[in-house]
Amino acid sequence: MVKTAGRKFLELLLSIFFLSVIIFYIARLTPGDPLISYYGERVEKMSPEERERAEERLGLNSSVSNQYLRWLADAFHGEFGISYKYKMDVTEVIGERIGNTFILGGIGFLFIFGGSLLLGILCAWYEDRLPDHMICKMGTAVSCIPEFWLSLILILIFAVNLRWLPSSGAYTIGIKRSAADRILHLILPMTVVVAGHLWYYAYMIRNLILEEVRTDYVLLAKAKGLKKRRIMFRHCLRNTFPSYLSIMAVSVPHILGGTYIVETVFSYPGLGTLIYESARYKDYNLLMFLSLMSGALVILCNMAAQVLNERIDPRIKSENMGKAPEGIGL
Amino acid sequence: MTNNFELVGIKPTPRKETVQKEKWYKGKPVFSGVLLALIAAGCLLGGLLMTEDSAALNLQNCGLPPNGEFLFGTDTMGRDIFSMIWLGGRVSLFIGISSTIISTITAIVFGALSGSAPVWADTILMRLTEILFSVPEPLLVIFIQAVLGEANVFSLSFVIGVTGWMSMAKIIRTEVRQLRGSEYVIASKCMGGGFFHILKKHLAPNFISSIMFMAVMNIRNGIMVEATLSFMGIGLPVEVISWGSMLSLSEKALLSNAWWMIVIPGAFLVATLMCITSLGNDLRKSMNRGQGYF
Repeated sequence: MVKTAGRKFLELLLSIFFLSVIIFYIARLTPGDPLISYYGERVEKMSPEERERAEERLGLNSSVSNQYLRWLADAFHGEFGISYKYKMDVTEVIGERIGNTFILGGIGFLFIFGGSLLLGILCAWYEDRLPDHMICKMGTAVSCIPEFWLSLILILIFAVNLRWLPSSGAYTIGIKRSAADRILHLILPMTVVVAGHLWYYAYMIRNLILEEVRTDYVLLAKAKGLKKRRIMFRHCLRNTFPSYLSIMAVSVPHILGGTYIVETVFSYPGLGTLIYESARYKDYNLLMFLSLMSGALVILCNMAAQVLNERIDPRIKSENMGKAPEGIGL
Repeated sequence: MTNNFELVGIKPTPRKETVQKEKWYKGKPVFSGVLLALIAAGCLLGGLLMTEDSAALNLQNCGLPPNGEFLFGTDTMGRDIFSMIWLGGRVSLFIGISSTIISTITAIVFGALSGSAPVWADTILMRLTEILFSVPEPLLVIFIQAVLGEANVFSLSFVIGVTGWMSMAKIIRTEVRQLRGSEYVIASKCMGGGFFHILKKHLAPNFISSIMFMAVMNIRNGIMVEATLSFMGIGLPVEVISWGSMLSLSEKALLSNAWWMIVIPGAFLVATLMCITSLGNDLRKSMNRGQGYF
């Protein structure tokens, strides 16, 4: 047990290390001027000497490999450098925003987690009858609507025309921050995050349960005269639960990716807007930290799903890692 | 004269009732098929019939709502949305299909390679791709576009293609792992069949049916990713008309409450995606499940 855990941990560290190398090189080799995000417009008026000094100050003058080694050494001391744009420690910049993303993505995930289970059970209960058909049709339809367009339509209806809800940001600027204001700003983005994923996972859970219903022990239980409700909740659900958990583990990065897109549409001050900005404007240190964070989360979740799957069925050892929809996982 | 050989005791068989012949389209997504064909035809022919300048800038007609002259209105740059829909549809559909071709070929080659490699190499290959795919997508997209030069239809299809083959490759890999020990593969190998020969003649026919559905879904994804990237401003520029880049003007549209600029291209996009999905689901239905015990 300890040995497996140790090996997994090593694997995780190694993956994150490779990931950091790849991101570092990709970011540095992409053309673009990181000085612009630090000095703004002034860069164009700089003399070559000034430029050189500026680059030296930010540690951009040595070769990429040297820069990487320096970054790695600092990272081991817990220093991830400063953000060029915000002129603050990277961890501070992220600390300000991460709460917002956590609220949107985390609460959204909980809604999806619970809602998809409920809907899945409902569908399996009424298999091939009206509620099942309706929920499945709804799921297919919603899965075809890009998240950004759904956001736009909601903004158009509820913010521009009805003026019920705010269209962007996390707070109203100028008023004292209050919980009610906060919730008002959350309603639209949260709706998109939840609606975008809920149906798909409900459908997966429906299929899981329906597969379980077709096993022999259900026939036996039925023959013994057990009630449908008892078979469903005491036997079938219990057996599908591990697979359900592993699906949910794989879903975390996808929901996070969806959250990032929703954030950019609603200009919600979270990590999504930040990661997009930093990739665009070569804010290297910030970009590194953010990419590593979401990369580590992806790898961690995949690993969790794999471990869960192996627990359920030792035959699949390192076979498949769970399936999730291809999306634009940011 | 009576017939001596008349048989007795045979029940006169009633004439067989003509069985109502099942219509070939029973249970098929006819509506989706027809709608998709109409949209595709409109994009192909409409693009040829329409003059280019109907989609050109015309600053006198900025942001007009739908009316007699401009059926779907005009956008903030004064372009006619009706002709842009058909022009843009061509680009969107092309990107969907070409990115799927790229991702399917990559997935087949990679999945077969990884599936037929020894276990350690397989593990390394799978781990590496997993790491590569946890690089944030905007970064990857910006990087590849920087390498390929200015974003255009081809570079965008390439980007979407090379970022979208992972899950298909996993399925192929699993199938190949099961097949590679079979007698006919070994026999072919003994007779000197190369990797691509075995892949083409022995492996591909076995897994092609299980990835058909995924390929159709990849077309859908390609169109959706193109729209999202263009909307966020890292895909096609505004001058290259596609359904996604038309939506990238939506921020201005929201300010002036120009609903037609958001609703119309989006509706075409969503309708196309829905048609493709229902065609894909029909493909998958061939794998039927048994009856439940409830």
